[in-house]
Order: sequence, then C-alpha cells, then structure tokens
Amino acid sequence: MGGLSLLAPMAWRNLWRNPRRTWITLAVVAVGLYSILVFAALLDAWARSSRDAALDVLIGSGQVHAPRYLDDQTIAQRMAAPGARLRAVLDGPSVEGWADRVRTPAVIQSEYKTLPAELLGVRPARERAISVVPRDVSAGRYLAGDADGGIVLGAHLAKRLKTRLGKRVIVMAQDATGALAQRSFRVVGLYSASQEDEDRFAFTGIEPAQAMLGIGTDVSEISFKLADDAGAPATVAALKAAGPGLDVRPWTALAPLTAAMNSFMEAFVYIWLWIMFVLMAIGIVNTQLMAVFERVREFGLLQALGMRPRLVLAEVLLESALLIGLGVLAGAAAAVATVLAFSGGVDLHFLARGAEFFGAGHVLYPRLAPAQFAAVSALVWALGVLVALWPAGKAAGSSPAEVMSHAQ
Amino acid sequence: MPSEAPIVSCRGLKKRYRTGAVETVALNGVDLDIAPGDFATLAGPSGSGKTTLLNLIGGLDTPSEGEVVVDGVRLGELGKNALTDLRLRKIGFVFQAYNLIPVLSAVENVEFILQLQGVAPAERRARATAALKEVGLEGMEDRRPGFLSGGQQQRVAVARALVSRPSIVLADEPTANLDSKTAGELIDLMARLNAEAGASFLISTHDARVIARSRRHIELTDGRVTSDSAAAREPA
Repeated sequence: MGGLSLLAPMAWRNLWRNPRRTWITLAVVAVGLYSILVFAALLDAWARSSRDAALDVLIGSGQVHAPRYLDDQTIAQRMAAPGARLRAVLDGPSVEGWADRVRTPAVIQSEYKTLPAELLGVRPARERAISVVPRDVSAGRYLAGDADGGIVLGAHLAKRLKTRLGKRVIVMAQDATGALAQRSFRVVGLYSASQEDEDRFAFTGIEPAQAMLGIGTDVSEISFKLADDAGAPATVAALKAAGPGLDVRPWTALAPLTAAMNSFMEAFVYIWLWIMFVLMAIGIVNTQLMAVFERVREFGLLQALGMRPRLVLAEVLLESALLIGLGVLAGAAAAVATVLAFSGGVDLHFLARGAEFFGAGHVLYPRLAPAQFAAVSALVWALGVLVALWPAGKAAGSSPAEVMSHAQ
Repeated sequence: MPSEAPIVSCRGLKKRYRTGAVETVALNGVDLDIAPGDFATLAGPSGSGKTTLLNLIGGLDTPSEGEVVVDGVRLGELGKNALTDLRLRKIGFVFQAYNLIPVLSAVENVEFILQLQGVAPAERRARATAALKEVGLEGMEDRRPGFLSGGQQQRVAVARALVSRPSIVLADEPTANLDSKTAGELIDLMARLNAEAGASFLISTHDARVIARSRRHIELTDGRVTSDSAAAREPA
C-alpha cells in the first residue's frame, strides 16, 4: 500500500484544521531551537575567546619544560636548547609553530618604582607564529631579532612603572649561579593584553636574556601550537619520545582552569538544550494531545473503515513530524541568519571588565558550525517526534465502537 | 428466501456491559442470519440493542457470548488487525452522523477505502468518481464535507460504503439527521443500489418509510429478536 501517499496529504491538511494551534506549536519549536543554536554559538565564541586569551599569549597548544620547572619556575630548572630529535617533531606537519624561550622571575625598576614581573627572552620570528603579543603592540615596536636588547612591556605595567617608550628600565633576576644579575633595557614597545598579562610579562631578545643570566644557549620552555587540537595526544607522545626526561604537557594540563571553563561551557550548551527541549516537549505533547482528544471519534472512524491502528499511529506521528520539522526549519534558518549577521563580531566593550573576569576578549566571534547545527536540529526533531508517540499511541488506541455509539 | 449460505450469521449472541457493580445486558441471545442480497431493517426502542448488534456484526466490538460469522469468517477467531482487514474488505458502514473525513474531498473520502485496499491510483479515482455519479453527486467530487449538505454527505457515505463492493452494508440510523425529502431520496438510493449491486443491507432505523421499503424487517426488544419477517415467510 502506498502508505505515505495516503497519509501525507491527510497529515498536512490536518495540521491546518486549527491554524492557531499549529502556529503556536511552530513558534514554540522554532523559538526553542533558535535559542539553543544561537546560545550554543555565543557560548562557543565565548569559550574560544577565553581559551585564546589564555593560550595565545604564551601557552600555545602545549609546552616542553625541564622536569621540575613547573614546581620551581626559575632559571635553575632550565634545559638545553632543542636538539635534532625534538626539532624533527616540532618541525613536523602537526605543529603549526613553536618557540623556545628563556623565562625567569624578575623585578623591573624605573626611576620611580620597582615592580615584580617575568622576563621572557624570546625569538621574535618564532613568537609571531604562536603568540598574539607581537601583533598586539600598541605603541613603539616589537623586538627585531634574537639579539634585540630592547624591552617590550605591557601597557599597564609601563603605566604603573611611570615609564614610557625610549626610557630605560633595570631588570634584576637570579643568574645561573644564584647571584643577582641585572641589566638595563630601553623600552622599545608596549603591548595590549589582559591587565593581568600586561602586568606580568616583559619581553626581550633571547640572546641578551641568556647572556644576562649566564645560561649559555639553555632555555626555560618550548611552546608549540598545533594545527589541530585533536592531534594533541599524538604530538605530546611524540615529543615525550623525542625528549626523554622532559616534561611535555598539553594546554589542558598547563591551564586547568581554562580547560575546566571550556568543558563547562560545552556542558552548559547541552544543559540549555535539555531545558529548552523539556519546555518544547511540554508544548508539543500538550497541543498534540489536545488535537488527538478532539479527534477521538475520527480515529475510531478510520479504524472502523479498515485503517489498521499502526497506520493511525503513523498518521498522527507524521503530523507531528511535519509540524516539528517546520518549526525546526524555521528555528534553524533564523539561527543561521543571526549567527551569520553577527559573525563579524559581537562587541562586549560595554561589559569589558566583566568579560575579562571570565577570561574572554572584548569581541566575540560567533561562527556557524554546520555539523553542530544539523545535529542539534535533527536531535530536537527526533526527540519531538519521540514525545509525540504518546498522543499518537492514544489515537491508535481509539475504539472504533465509539463512532457507532456516538451516532445513537 | 435464497438457499445460499448467509452473509452474516449470529448464534447465541450476548453482550453485557458492566459499570461498577451494575451489569447491563444489551443483547440477550440473538440468533440471526442475513442472506446475500437482503435489504433488512432492524428496529426497536432505544436501548433495545440495535447499535450493539451492528457493532458486533461489524467487528467493532466483541460479544460476551456467542458467535458472529461474516462471509464464512468467524470474527471471534480474528485478531485486531485481521478484524480491521475484514471490515475493510467485506463490510461497508453508513453512520447517522455521516462521519466523513473532514480534510478529504468527496472523491477522496470514497477513494480512501480503495487506497487502504491498495488499488492503483488511476483505477481508484475512476471507481470513486463512478460511485459518486451513482449516488447523484457528479460534479461535486472536489467538495469537502463542510461544503456539502447533510443529504449530500450521506450520499458520499453510501458511495464510500459500496465502492469496495462489500458483502454487507451496515447502516445505523442513516436517515435520522435528514429532512423527509432527503431521507426518502436516500432510501430510494439504497434500495436501488441493493437491487443493482446485490449488496446486502442491514439498516438500524426508527423511520417507518425505511421499514416500508425493506424486504425484511427485524424487531429487537430488550436484547432479543422479537419478530423477523423472514422467519414468518419461511415454510413450516
């Protein structure tokens, strides 16, 4: 029997017997799905923004250190410059960029103030591939090369030190022997980042830093950025094999708070999905039950005329599938339009401090994730049809004798 | 009476309904045969069990005791799906309240039965259109029930009941909602279709005009057959 050719026109026309109810259900499904998809896109943008803010200054996708460096982040826990085996992995296709650094606690003294900070000796060309600091220089310039003896300070630190471009500052730190080393640097640039990072990190060329600290060509850390985060476990394993005895960790271990926030936001999307779905399900079941109860006689009639209960169930389910499907299409289309409209950025400057508190940037960039949109839409549709089984089952259970008895 | 096997045979048919502690006997031992080609009316006071008897013969309800055989098939031995299929292929229904499917046009209502039977689209459309022409509704094929008068709707119901050439048509008070002129036309129509198509009719009615046109009249009182004109005509 051409079941669909029999059921589809009936189901479609039945939907419009009570247009008001149909439009209300459509709106419930569309608005519910719209809020899920747009909320998911914003949360994803927020999660990416906060992750990028945390990782793109220094951490990258992961780091390599001397074994005890993370417990004692001083120059005493340094390691040799990366050898051939380590470089072979770092220069491999899974790694987008990497940079070795010298990094030590220091104090920076201007004419007016002395403040704590971390001195980083960096290779500017490599840093450009993995860090946003070279890009975010707001005044002056970034470092020109490994031997550049200038210093780039965070804009807020410079303000607190009451120093400025062209002025000199004194940096003091313990050297390889434990003695106090100091060196004068000219301020060549100021960078913008979160206030915490601006206060914390000061950058100079790797060679002046190594010379000041007397560590030869040793380094404190190697930071690497992966082309695809999904490849992190394999790359970490390869680096561990290439650098036995070194401490290789992915960013999730280096920034556990950021990782936890990231997981929480992913989980929150699903919590929101379930909250909205429960509300939608109540709406769908309520309206479909009303539609079924109003038509009990009709379902009895269909069975009296020779329509099997299974086909009655299929007819009511098809009505729900069409109704929810239309709502899903409308909701998804509106969500795609909204996300595309805001893909250029949602400016959160009006709550800048709040955004920074959560580790996010000032501008969120929601993006269209077609697979996620399709999966969530399909899930909402399938779950909606599933809950409609209840009213459909009621319809299929209608007694054909009802029709005769009503006619008495 | 024809000597062929009956289309419907009821033996010792009882139906009891229980509401709490109260038991109501709707049918109390009905023995009845409907022969092929019968045009029989079933009358009796309200509560005499007419609708219950039609429900049991139509396989819409199950008896408390006794047996119904339709065209050689014992209904008590059929499951829900098999009963539904039997109704689809062997029984036509005409209801007091017309009971057309409101979202389907007149021709689609008639086609619906054929579609359930799996008849090819072109054939079913041709047969449904012919059935509507037969009941005098030519040109009204595309009207939905809401755009048809009560008499026209009941004609569509008759066309729907007969289009699949069932063994028997069960009609429950088919003229009760119609004015006298329309009711008369409907009776003439059913009598003509009975004569031409040969389908058996069992019509529950209070309408004296329907009873007058029937070839057989059965009286039901308190759940029993109290008179049957066919029995009266049988040779001693």
